[in-house]
Amino acid sequence: MSTQATTTAPRPATERSEPTRPQPLGRRQRETRAALLFLAPDALGLIVFVALPMLLSVVLGFFWIDGFGNVDFIGVDNYVRMAQDPQFWNSARVTLIYLVVLVPLIFVTGLGLALLVQQKFPTVGWIRSALFMPYVVSIVVVSMVWQFMLTDRTGVVAAALAWIRLDGISFLGDPRFALGTVIVVTIWLQMGYYMIIFLAGLQDIPGELYEAARIDGARPWARFRRITLPLLAPTSFFVLLTSMVAVVTGGLDMIFVLTNGGPANSTSLLIFYIYQQAFLFGDLGYAAAIGSVLVAVLLIISAAMFVVTRGGRFTHDD
Amino acid sequence: MSRRRLLGGSAAAVGTGLLSSCGTGSGDDAPLSFWNFYSPAPQQDPNLVAQSDWFATAIRRWNSANPRQIEPVYMTGDQMNQRMPVAFASGDGPDIFLISPGDYLRYANGGVLQDLAPHMEQEAIDDYFPQALATRRNGDGIYGLPMEQEPLALFYDPDLLESAGISQGDLPADWEQLLDLGARLSTGNQTGLVLDVDPGYYQNFTFYPWLWQTGGDVIDPGSQAPIFDADGPRAALDLYGRAIASGATPRTRPANGDIVGAFSSQFAAFWQTGVWDVQNLLLNAPDKSFGVMPLPPPPGGEKVTALGGWAWCVNARGRDPEAAARFVVSVLGSMDEQSIAHNAAWNSPTIKGNMPARASVDAALDAENAFDDERYRVFREDILPTGRAEPRFPPVVYKAVSDALQAVQLAGADPAEEAERAQASLEGYLETYRGGSLI
Repeated sequence: MSTQATTTAPRPATERSEPTRPQPLGRRQRETRAALLFLAPDALGLIVFVALPMLLSVVLGFFWIDGFGNVDFIGVDNYVRMAQDPQFWNSARVTLIYLVVLVPLIFVTGLGLALLVQQKFPTVGWIRSALFMPYVVSIVVVSMVWQFMLTDRTGVVAAALAWIRLDGISFLGDPRFALGTVIVVTIWLQMGYYMIIFLAGLQDIPGELYEAARIDGARPWARFRRITLPLLAPTSFFVLLTSMVAVVTGGLDMIFVLTNGGPANSTSLLIFYIYQQAFLFGDLGYAAAIGSVLVAVLLIISAAMFVVTRGGRFTHDD
Repeated sequence: MSRRRLLGGSAAAVGTGLLSSCGTGSGDDAPLSFWNFYSPAPQQDPNLVAQSDWFATAIRRWNSANPRQIEPVYMTGDQMNQRMPVAFASGDGPDIFLISPGDYLRYANGGVLQDLAPHMEQEAIDDYFPQALATRRNGDGIYGLPMEQEPLALFYDPDLLESAGISQGDLPADWEQLLDLGARLSTGNQTGLVLDVDPGYYQNFTFYPWLWQTGGDVIDPGSQAPIFDADGPRAALDLYGRAIASGATPRTRPANGDIVGAFSSQFAAFWQTGVWDVQNLLLNAPDKSFGVMPLPPPPGGEKVTALGGWAWCVNARGRDPEAAARFVVSVLGSMDEQSIAHNAAWNSPTIKGNMPARASVDAALDAENAFDDERYRVFREDILPTGRAEPRFPPVVYKAVSDALQAVQLAGADPAEEAERAQASLEGYLETYRGGSLI
């Protein structure tokens, strides 16, 4: 090691420059700063309440945790167990069916209802409210009401079907129908919410475009295909993305009340299986591992959707 | 402590701590929390208020005589299921809490149950009916004190049977007669035989008597090995499958499982349920006649029923396990007259209407002619003596049985295949199981 004296001579006092005044920010910089300030509270909340728990959940997936403070690092054992667990694969299959059937149906019913209530006619306000109403009611209450209505032999639905000689169908007690029933109830519950979102999107489309198309002789289907659908693309993206996430990560309350995962595990969604493992079986590490896989799959699908649709803009120009 | 273990512990503590939202207070002199679903009751139903008062009285008596106070924390059963694991995982579990036999082993294996035996007189231990205490013991240790025994039986509607030309002398004597009658009585909106259909611990609990009546079991008590792939379990599974296939049993329970509504509306002829529904029907449908009979066995089989019931437990890692244990023993497990009288009050038809777990309590109730009602008499004299304690199987064992039961009952699966599948699952699990005795 060598020591060297500095060769830089001290500046004479007379050469001291004037204190520099901060340059005023450009408009773009000011906008960026404002945007960051506005985003900061949300970002902080997301980091603390979403990102951090997600990260911890990934960590917990590598441990055996009995829920009583007894913890052991077990590497990827939970993931190996998952791969060999038939009930996990059954729940994954049920969730996939639920997702693939429910999301398009939610999209179609939401858009269909929005197109319907976009028209101006008396009582349209009441109809919009009525369609949105199920969404604001507690899911537990809704599920209990449906459970009563769908009870075999004594429920209202069974009575109505018996009247037209279609008795004997068990909507909640037969594995062939239970998941379909849950899907129908979910659509009924959520269609009003997505209707409102589509309605907002529809009302943003300039009326002049339809007028011009009408003058050019475009029929309703052509106007829908050439104007409505393309201009609704960002809304459609939002609906598809949020409904997908809601379908995969939600539904626990309804399943819990309506079927408890049965009959014969036919409605045991992954989210319900995670709940069972964590809260009924006390296997928190395994539940965290399944949760991590579920989140990873959702992230991959969401990222793919963003890439394919260019962030929901569906355009090829920047 | 190894670095790996420390890391794991820290991560788990932080993770579960973040998930926890239910603090129970801190400080050495803070009251001991007593999580339960009875008191202080937010309901107005006079019977529920009486049950709440019973808990409140026990706590008030203790609090007036002891410096360490007890504080009841009310939550529903479902809330307890969800909050207890999170609370225990974050080291903030309740000091005193209620658990059913199905949950016992998980808590016992977790090392959070305080041994109550050192606080009990031998006379009080001997006062418990052996089957009532069996599933809460480990060696000489007693890790929970039951406050009741809840035997299962078959409730029936005599009016409905009579209208179908069936007298009380023609009640089913075996499985085949039960299925025949159940199918005959299932017409229109009327159900012949209600068996539980919802997957869960409760359904398994209701299935065990039918299984035991065949001489079969899930686990062999001697070897602790699974014995589910056998004739008995296959026959019991088949009974559940045939009950649905024959139309005797509906795939969903009438009136959403509310026996009062179903019986009052003549929706159900036979219904498998427990002693608690005697009081339920007497209070809520006083004009409705109903009868109670033991579960009929298979041809040539013996009558057996399952005994449920909740127990009070003490958190060994709580603030003051010794004081909590003294409290639990003073209320439920003492030979003190007040303890016996308080136990008797709980099990009497005026409050809970269950079968007592202790001989002295049973004698006290007998002296009061508390069980003079015909239905209670059948429970006490005919059904209770055939009872076996609800098993304390851990979750994986429960799930294997539940999956087999659900598959045969509601998906029409083959009983032999499902019994074999459950057996394989049980064998795989028990190879690595380390914990208390399963049965």
